[in-house]
This record gives sequence, structure tokens and C-alpha cells, in this order.
Amino acid sequence: MDAAPAPYMIRINGHLGATVLSAFPALAPQHHGAYTVLTGLLDRSALYGVLAEIEALGLDLLEVQKLTSDRKSPEPGGSHSK
Amino acid sequence: MTIISAPAGSGKTSLLRAWAGRPGQRHRLVLVQVQRDQHDTQQFWLALLDAVRHATGASSGAELPAATPDFNAPAMVDRVLSELADARGGVTLVIDDLHELTSPEAPAQLTRLLTSLPADVHAIVTTRHDVRLQLHRLRLAGELAEIRAADLRFSERETRELLDASGVALSAAGAALLHQRTEGWAAGLRLGVLSLAGHPDPEQFVAEFSGSDRTVAEYLIAEMLDRQPPDVQDLLLRTSLLDRVNGELADLLTGRPGSEQILLDLEDANAFVESLDPGRTWFRYHHLFADLLRLELRRTLPAEIPALHRRAAGWFTQHGQVADVIRHTQAAGDWPEAARLLADHSFSLTLDGQAQTMQALLRAFPPGADHPELALVRATVDLAQGRLDEAAAYLVVAETYAETAPPDRQRRLQVAIASLKLSLARRRGHLAGVVEQARFLASPVTGPSDEDIALGSDLRAVALMNLGIAEAWALGLPDAERHLREGAVLAREIGRPYLEVACLAQLGFASLVLHSFATIRRRCREAIALAERHGWGTEPVIAPALIMLAGTMVWTGEFDEGERWLRRTEPALQTDTGPDLRLHAHMASGLLHAGRGRHHEALDEFSAAKHLRSQMEGSHAWDSQMTGWLLATQARAGLPDRARGLLAALDDERASSGEIRNARAVICLAEGNPAGALGVLHDVLDGTAPVLGHVTVIEAQLLAGLAHRQLGDERAASQAAERALALAESDRLVLPFAMTGSAGLLEALPRHQTAHAALLADILDVLHGSSPAARQQSSLPPAEQLSPGELRVLRYLPTNLSRPEIAGELSVSLNTVSTHLRSVYAKLQVRDRSSAVRRARELRLLAAGRTR
Repeated sequence: MDAAPAPYMIRINGHLGATVLSAFPALAPQHHGAYTVLTGLLDRSALYGVLAEIEALGLDLLEVQKLTSDRKSPEPGGSHSK
Repeated sequence: MTIISAPAGSGKTSLLRAWAGRPGQRHRLVLVQVQRDQHDTQQFWLALLDAVRHATGASSGAELPAATPDFNAPAMVDRVLSELADARGGVTLVIDDLHELTSPEAPAQLTRLLTSLPADVHAIVTTRHDVRLQLHRLRLAGELAEIRAADLRFSERETRELLDASGVALSAAGAALLHQRTEGWAAGLRLGVLSLAGHPDPEQFVAEFSGSDRTVAEYLIAEMLDRQPPDVQDLLLRTSLLDRVNGELADLLTGRPGSEQILLDLEDANAFVESLDPGRTWFRYHHLFADLLRLELRRTLPAEIPALHRRAAGWFTQHGQVADVIRHTQAAGDWPEAARLLADHSFSLTLDGQAQTMQALLRAFPPGADHPELALVRATVDLAQGRLDEAAAYLVVAETYAETAPPDRQRRLQVAIASLKLSLARRRGHLAGVVEQARFLASPVTGPSDEDIALGSDLRAVALMNLGIAEAWALGLPDAERHLREGAVLAREIGRPYLEVACLAQLGFASLVLHSFATIRRRCREAIALAERHGWGTEPVIAPALIMLAGTMVWTGEFDEGERWLRRTEPALQTDTGPDLRLHAHMASGLLHAGRGRHHEALDEFSAAKHLRSQMEGSHAWDSQMTGWLLATQARAGLPDRARGLLAALDDERASSGEIRNARAVICLAEGNPAGALGVLHDVLDGTAPVLGHVTVIEAQLLAGLAHRQLGDERAASQAAERALALAESDRLVLPFAMTGSAGLLEALPRHQTAHAALLADILDVLHGSSPAARQQSSLPPAEQLSPGELRVLRYLPTNLSRPEIAGELSVSLNTVSTHLRSVYAKLQVRDRSSAVRRARELRLLAAGRTR
């Protein structure tokens, strides 16, 4: 298990407004079509904190992807989608 | 069993409420909602038990158990199960928001509850995400139903029905659009309906909502808030930082009166506000709604948040809700103040069974804000969990800090530190340390506030208890008794039943030597009765009394009864209780085995006790007794050489004690050296060797008797046996005779020479057929089993004593003897005394060789 923070991409259905985005201060939001993509450096516990927040806010989680150093931008339909 | 597992806002709780409220419900409903972030499972289980008792009407009986610092979850699960089993006619058990139960032990406890439910109990559990319950067995048996998000989703037809029922006029196309946009998500639809009700243009609203890319909840909550009057919006935002709210708190946070009516109206409008009690004074917001409101508050009024938390903390302070006070103080960012509060209340939170909550509060401090006050908290946590070295290290830090603390803090910290050091010293068996730390007891409890005095009283009561226990170990028994009683009285005065029980539970041990076994037994039973009233009958807090009571049973030869009481302590001993208590338990088990002649099992127990003893510091008055029994048991188990080895390692003072002399005599006897045994026993018998109590002298007399017998001096042997009987008479002690293997010695004692025939008969009863009743069961049908009274009379049949003489021996009337004899004859199906003896021997109710 990697202890160091790694870049993550999290894709959520719908456009997140300012209120909901304030729940993810460590992540940078971008709107891609009907989705919101959050990216940022997260370690394990931060990642699970973000996932718990997504659950608590009733958001529709589409994809979580750990980005390797040579692939900083998300590719739709990546192998980790759920 | 039914599991409802679906994300936030899927309508789980609404479904439950609607289902529970439907007409024609025959099952009684037990509903427990898990509080947000429930760290201590004890609070959940107590709430569950309370709900079960209310629903089944059992609440009038036993008092609800109070929270304890050493919560025994398996016992609690058993208790809930047994109350459910007692409830006739079916119960529906609902656990709402199970995912909030964050304790790591919770899933195992719940699994056991849910897989062991009585047949007429239906359990319904709701959770946001699947929790790790091991329910395969139920699933395989077809007894598990699962309702998931897809099942809860509204269909288009249901969406239309909801709109119709809410009086919203919307076209079929509009309803379809709303359904499509919310994907049938219950919270989304309900929010939509709230905004649509009374909307001037519902079609327009749905069209705009549908055209927006915003997430459903965020869009609709913003819409709903916008449609509320400003004071309602303000109330919702400001009170969102509370887990639960009432009118008074809301007035305080908004600075306006009239909040309660707003909350009631919101609940009536089905606007994500629910009352928590039948009187509708406390409310909570739907979790999802509350979370979004909190975010909105943080975005729109960030500067006010610390002040709001401080106001909430102030209200909770007035209402004595310590954990909430600390939580809000932390949220306000007042870290040093939060650290001070936690340090001041760590002790009472532990006593209130909120150790996990306390640890969660401790974890909430950011690394940079680690205040030196927290060392005291960490020491309390470690001590409560038996990590003694870590506790000691934190106490050093706390002490260093206390030296530099402002004078008003200094005294308070020092009292707390002294009390913790006292507990630590006691747990380590370090008596000198206990007495040294107890000095603070001399100064009265003072302080600027009631809180100071309350804290001081808690600490004092615990200190008195620890001091009493330490003194009992040191044979400072009158002091021990006094301090334990003072501790119990103080605990009762300050409303700490846990501490009262803890003090009284130790009183039996402190009564040893000083009082009769009857008194010890009574004190143990009183303490146990008090513990049971609080629902702590098998908790660690009462274990000392259970063990001591079992011990008195063993001493009077009631081995089966003693064993039952010892078994009752087993669950308590599985939690960490420190070496002293487990040592007591091993000693009692060792004596039980020794009494039954199981020397190897006894040896295991005494060895375990010795090992625990080595974990305690300093020397103890009871050491010679423990070592003596260990050595004697080794010799009896055929290991006299090993006993000799241990004996050689003892210092002179210990070796000359009565208890060790007795052990040496046992070794001599095992080595076939009765003269040597008599030599060592001389000083015990003439009173020159120090002894712990008359038990040591009884043992010495019996060992001397055995030695005389081996040397062929029956007269001296009988005299020694008679002296032992005389000493054992008042407490009716049987164990020393059993442990020393004195059956032969007693049988050789001519009946007419003893003044203790009844006791002698009882003892022989136990020694022969260590369980006469068990043997009897195998040979006589249950209805024909002899009563204890009949057995006692039967024992005299082989003698040539007449019936009046037997009556005299047994101190009963001639009539009683005649009645017993008649039923003995009837049960054995014989007509006269000699055939009764023969039949009794065949049935092994009488030992074959015992004729006199």
C-alpha cells in the first residue's frame, strides 16, 4: 500500500455547485459534459474521506482513478470505472 | 430479517415509519436509531435494551443498566436476546442507520444478535452501505430479505401518485420529466414536491430543473431554501452544525425567539426535519439535508461559525453534556480550551462508559494542537485499557506540565495525577506507591465551582477504593474495610453507583481473617445484589465479590455451588481487569480442584496465580499463603523435589511463616518422613510461628494428625483431628480436611470422642463420594433420591447408635430421625436397618469400608 499521496481523478454525475464543491477543498473541479471531474493529490485516508463525503452528500459516483505520473489526464472509460 | 441497504435519501427511514404506522400491526415495534458517529457501542446497546423493555412492557421490572467503564458486550447481547425471548406475541426490531455504528466490535456483536433471534422476532436493519454482518446462515435458510436502492426507487406511476397526494398539479409530461431527472430518487422527489407545492408555475420549474446540469440534491435544496422565509433559512443554516436541535438551542443560535414553532412547522411540512421524541422537543435534520446545509453555512457565513459553536458549547455546558461541549469547543477552534475540558472530564467520561468517544475526541485534535493537558487524557485511556507502561510515561509528561501550569490549574491537575498514579500503583500491586499517592485524600475537596468539587469527589471515591484494596492485600484489614466503606458512601452521595459497587465488591476480600465466613458471604451477596440492580451481575466490577463468594463456598465444601459462582466470573475476567483480580480467581479455582483431590489441575491454577503475582510489584502479606499452597500441591501431585527447589529459594522470614511450615510438612509426608513433618509443625502448633489466620492452624493440626498416624500413634492423631474440628466448627470449614486428605484420619476418630459429630459427618460426606448426589443419580430413579437430611441419618445406620442417640448426634428431634428413616427405607425398598445398610452400600451411598 502506497503511503505517499498520489494524484486521483474522481468523476461524479452532474454539475457540482459551489456549496457541494466546498466539501472537497483539496480537489480541483472541472465540468466535462454532464459530469464533474475532481482531481487532486490524496493519500489513502484522504481518499476514503472523500468517498465518505460523496456518500453522505448523496452524489452519484461514476469513477475513481489513480493517475500514474505519465497519465495525468483522465481518459473516459478507464479500466477502474465502476 | 430484512436489510434495507441504500444510499442517503433513498427513503429508508420514511419507508420504515410508514410501514410501522400502518394499521393492523400486531407485532410490537422496537425502534432504535443509531446516533451520528456512535463510537461507544454501549450507548447503542443500552438504547436498544431500553427500547425492547418499553415495547414489551418489561420496563417496570429491573432497572435499566447504567453505563459502565468496562462494558461487556457479549453479556449485553445475551440480555437483549433473553428479554426478546420473554416477549410473547412477536416483536419487530428496527435498527435505523446501522452504518453510524463505527465501533470495530459492533459487526460481530450485531451478527450474534441477528442470527440468534427468537422465532417470533422480525429484525429490520437500515444502512447506507453494506456492513459486514455474517448472515450467510440466514440467507441460506431463506430468512433474509434485502431491499436495495433499485427497489426503493419511485416508478413513474408512483411519482405521479406522490404529486397527486401532495396536491401538486403537474402535467403527465412534467411528472415524467421530474421522474427522469431525479431518477426516482426519493429525496429528490420530496425536495421537488416541497418546491412545487404552491409554485406559481410548476411546469416551468420542472423544465428549468430538467435543463440544469447541477446535481439533484444541491439544486433542489437551494430551490427549497430560496422559497423559505428569511428567518427559516437562517434558522436552518445556523442550527445545521448541531447533531440535534431543540427550540431553546435554535433561539440561542439565531438570536431570535420562536424557533420551536418553526421546527414543528417544518416537520409538519415533511421538510426533512424529524422530531426525536414523542413530546416533539428535540429534532434532527435528515443527514443529507444537514450535510448540505452545513456546507452552505460554511460558504455563506464562515466568520460566524466559531461563535455559533461557542454558543452551542455554552448551552451544552449548562446541561452537563460534556462530550458535546468538547466537540463544539474543538469545532470552534479553541484547542487549548478543548484540551483543558477533555483533561478535566477524562475521568468522568471513562466512568460513564464513554471511553471510545473520548478517544475520538482525542483524535480530533490536529497534530500541531497537541496540548500538554492531553497527556493526562492519554494516561487515563491507557490505564483503563491496561497499558500500564504507556500510562506511566504519559503521567510523567502530565506531571512535568503540572509543575509549570498556572496555580489555579496546578492543584486540580495534581489531584488528578495523584489519583491516576494511585490506580496505576494498585494495578501493579505496588502498595507503598498506593499509600504514598493517597496522601491527597487528607485535604478536603475544594474548588471554585461545583464541577471542581464533583471531579474531586469522583477522584476521592476511586482513591478510597484503591487504597482499601491495597490495604486488604497488605493485611491492613481494618483500614481496608473503613476506606472501602467510606468510598462506597461517598460514591452513593455523588451518584456514582459504579464506584459504590466497585468498593463494596472488594469488601469481602477486606473481611478475610477479620470476620467469619458467614459475614464475608453476606457482604459478597449484598454487593452482588446491588450490582444486579444496576444490571452488572456479571460485569468485571462485581467479579471480586463473585470470586470471594465462590471461595467461601469452596471453604465450606459446597464445591458445585462454588464452581457455579466461579463460572459466573469468567466473562468478566475476559476483559482486562489487572493481575490482582485474575490472581484471586486462579486461587479460588486452585482451592476448588485441591478440595476435589485434583492435584494436577490445582497445581496449574496455583502456578498461574504465582505467575500473575510476579507481575505485581513489592511483597504482599498473602504471599506466604499462596506459596504454601503451591508447594503443598506440588508435593501432593508427586513433585516433592520441585517443591523442595522452590522452598530453598525462599528467604528466612517467609520460610518460617506458618503457611510455609505447613507446606514443608506436606513435603516431608510425601517423602515418607512423618517425624520431620512433626518437627516443622511444632512452631505452628504452639503459636510461635506467625500465621495468617486459624485456617493455617487447622491445616497444621491435620498434618500433625496424619504424621502421628503414620507413626502409629492413633491417640495423638485423634487428638489433633479433634482440635482441627474444634477450630473449623464456627465456620463449618471443610476444605482443609479435603485438601490435606484427612478422610482416613477422621474415620479413625471414635464417634463418642468427638464433640463435633455433625460437622464431622458433613466433612466425611464431602470427602467420600466427592459428589454423593452424582453417584446416587446413576443408581436411583430421581424420585427415589435421598434428601440431604435422609443421607445424614443414613450415615449413622452402620453404627450401633440408637435412634434417640442419632437424633442427639444430629441435634434434631427423634421425630425427625424417625421420619427420615421411614422414607430412607421406602426409597431403598427395604424393611430393616441392616438391609438398608447393605442396599446403601450396593448403591454406594455409604462407603464400603466405613463400619463402626
